[in-house]
Amino acid sequence: MITVEQPEYTEIQLTVNGTSVKHCVPTHMRLLDFLRDELRLTAAKESCGEGECGACTVLLNSKPVNSCLIFAVEADGSEIVTVEGLDQAGESENIFRAYLEEHAVQCGFCIPGMVVSTEALLNEESEPDREQIKYALAGNICRCTGYVKIINAVEAAGRRP
Amino acid sequence: MKYFRPQSISEACALFEDNAATLLAGGTDLLPMYEMGRSLPDMLVDLKHISELGSIRWAEDGSLEIGSLVTVHELLHDERIHRDYPALADAANDFAAVQIRHRATIGGNICNASPAGDLLPPLYALNVLVRIAGKIGERVLPIAEVITGPGETSLQQGEILKSVSLPASSGSSRFVKLGLREAMAISVVNFAIRYEIDGDRFSQLRIAAGAVGPTVKMLNSYAEAVIQDPGNISSGIGLVDDDISPIDDIRASANYRSQVLKNLLIHTLLEVLESADD
Repeated sequence: MITVEQPEYTEIQLTVNGTSVKHCVPTHMRLLDFLRDELRLTAAKESCGEGECGACTVLLNSKPVNSCLIFAVEADGSEIVTVEGLDQAGESENIFRAYLEEHAVQCGFCIPGMVVSTEALLNEESEPDREQIKYALAGNICRCTGYVKIINAVEAAGRRP
Repeated sequence: MKYFRPQSISEACALFEDNAATLLAGGTDLLPMYEMGRSLPDMLVDLKHISELGSIRWAEDGSLEIGSLVTVHELLHDERIHRDYPALADAANDFAAVQIRHRATIGGNICNASPAGDLLPPLYALNVLVRIAGKIGERVLPIAEVITGPGETSLQQGEILKSVSLPASSGSSRFVKLGLREAMAISVVNFAIRYEIDGDRFSQLRIAAGAVGPTVKMLNSYAEAVIQDPGNISSGIGLVDDDISPIDDIRASANYRSQVLKNLLIHTLLEVLESADD
């Protein structure tokens, strides 16, 4: 969280998970805080707050980014997708199912970011190999699993039609 | 903090004339500083909506002009850069992780002037020119005259880094990075070489090393010795110490940096010569 004594406000309009939203936000508010505190979309998490861990990963115009490194005002006019916006019963079902079936989740704190990075990878490369998966998830840190089951899950999600 | 989104370079320069203004490119270095307590500027000037800064194009003289707001992800996926400037493509490949590569820009990496910035050794080795826009017009400087120290550049308030010009390519290039882990690592040492090979020796060689001094260092005496005699790749390696001034920090000791740079240089130069032999 970045704090200031006398905030300035700006109106922004953007699409979040398919819904158009218009908000007046403090210019110093990060996209992550906008999503969590203003829109109550709490899947994206804050862990390191400096772009190292990927827990806050969201899609901005289809690209995975760290929402802790972006001011909300920078996202004006863009399209944001968080885990809440992925279709668990439809297009992204294979990802959610694979994470469950491969037991890829332990404490779960990193998982929203992992799933968003997985979605971004599979949109680019429908059947990635393990090296491609490691490269694509390098910006997402997990302190529980040791990554093997997460990589297994992404591999399985890619193979699933 | 007032937020501005200029649409043109001249508009941005005019806003940035104000001492209270800070420029925003990708923000991947700037936001962590604010997060850690640096006070916000009165004016934040976001350059991302100036379309002219976001393109990569061939110039008439055969050089490749890269706009300062081109992201590391865009560098990594540009065929021209892969073919003609592989050191820059390799550095983009080894740069942080995909989330950062989508935001971080080449101009930001230069202006942030980190001694360990990964795009910088390739830019020095390739001898790039930097185009700077200001109120009174443009000026062009070699990259080594733009970066003056850790976090310091010769750009004045009101001046904006417009583009980077890569000279028409002849020869090849490589980038090597050592971090504490493979991804998301700040380099312990990094270096780039630009070279041409004639038979079994280097006819041209430029070596630029990062994280072994306050700015990227050109290892000219060693490179000249290697051009004179490939035997000097190993026996002349001590010359590297003439041009570097590494320090101890949390990532490595000065001694380690010096030694590992030498080991990696010997390994890389021998490998490049051998593979040219095939």
